[in-house]
Amino acid sequence: MLSGQYVFHTGEELNRAINRMDFFRLFKAMSMAHGFSEFGLIELPPEIIDFRYSRAMALHSWPNLHMSEIDRKSKPQQDQPVAHLIKSTVAAVFLSDGADAGEPVSPLMIDEEPGCVVAVPLHTPSGKRYGLLLIGTQDKADYSDIGRISYEASLIFQRYYEAILSLDSMTGLTEREIQIVRWTAEGKTSAEIAVILKLSEHTVNSYTATVLRKLQVVNRAQMVATAIRNGLIT
Amino acid sequence: MTVNRPANSSIRILLVDDDPAEHILLSRKLSAISEPKIDLDFVDGIEAAVRHVQTTAIDIILLDNHLVPNNDFRETAPRLREAGYTGPIGIISSDITGSYFQSFPEYGADFRIGKDEIDGKAISFILEEFLKNMLPDECNDDTL
Repeated sequence: MLSGQYVFHTGEELNRAINRMDFFRLFKAMSMAHGFSEFGLIELPPEIIDFRYSRAMALHSWPNLHMSEIDRKSKPQQDQPVAHLIKSTVAAVFLSDGADAGEPVSPLMIDEEPGCVVAVPLHTPSGKRYGLLLIGTQDKADYSDIGRISYEASLIFQRYYEAILSLDSMTGLTEREIQIVRWTAEGKTSAEIAVILKLSEHTVNSYTATVLRKLQVVNRAQMVATAIRNGLIT
Repeated sequence: MTVNRPANSSIRILLVDDDPAEHILLSRKLSAISEPKIDLDFVDGIEAAVRHVQTTAIDIILLDNHLVPNNDFRETAPRLREAGYTGPIGIISSDITGSYFQSFPEYGADFRIGKDEIDGKAISFILEEFLKNMLPDECNDDTL
């Protein structure tokens, strides 16, 4: 029988997820349901040599973990779970015996204790590759659980794609995005737009960042100019 | 309205909840977080919350969904926005399964989370996610 926590991340809450906070909640619930303490969703480059956590980490549960520090201290070629994610389409388990056994299998295993990493390869419909890392302190892997973990990770990632990743590839701007561009064209700052639209400054900046990516520009001046040229605003 | 805050100061969270026990519970959860330093303010109603954001620099508001005698967040979150608060607002509730929760962005809220989901990891993620600069470096000083 499934526990309430188990149902949480594959039940109705999955279909309700609409922002990154919701997906943090889903992946966190999934990790805990399977006995893992941490998770990290990473975007994968084609080659392991190009992998950097500071660039790749899309969503994770480590508080105050500075990815650039991990990049500085570790070599991508020795990162077994990430190397596996890049070269395989099947989930795998990696066990670390702790400090006595030399280097941990993953630089994310910052405690020098025995641990377990499950690496689940994921991809978008367009073929962009991601991976989910689950990290716990188990000294043995429950291989019977791997299939279920893979399936649940795919379910949550598919929803993540629909709600978050696919937005950047949508053509045109949403009504809210057009409002943000119009007020920016009027010379308003993010804080002023937030007051006008009764939103948080974070939300205004989030919309602005999405528009910048959609229009493939790097600042507000280019954003407004491109929007006018494309007839998105007058 | 923007209330200026000294640089390098701690994070100030405002909990708006009509149950004082929630203040105690959240204080305990926040004590597990060593970095950044967090100050927790507490008020038990929306009127007090509106007054508070007009006089104090608040980084994040955690707003209980049902505040007696008000209705749900659809009534209270806009009050905070009308008061000029532009920081993140998170709706917290013991039950966030109601279909109306899907409309939280339309009412000026930034996220929703179940009270039983709030722990050190969730708080750390919220601080990281909602206090970071969403824009590329090229946009930092870029206004028209």
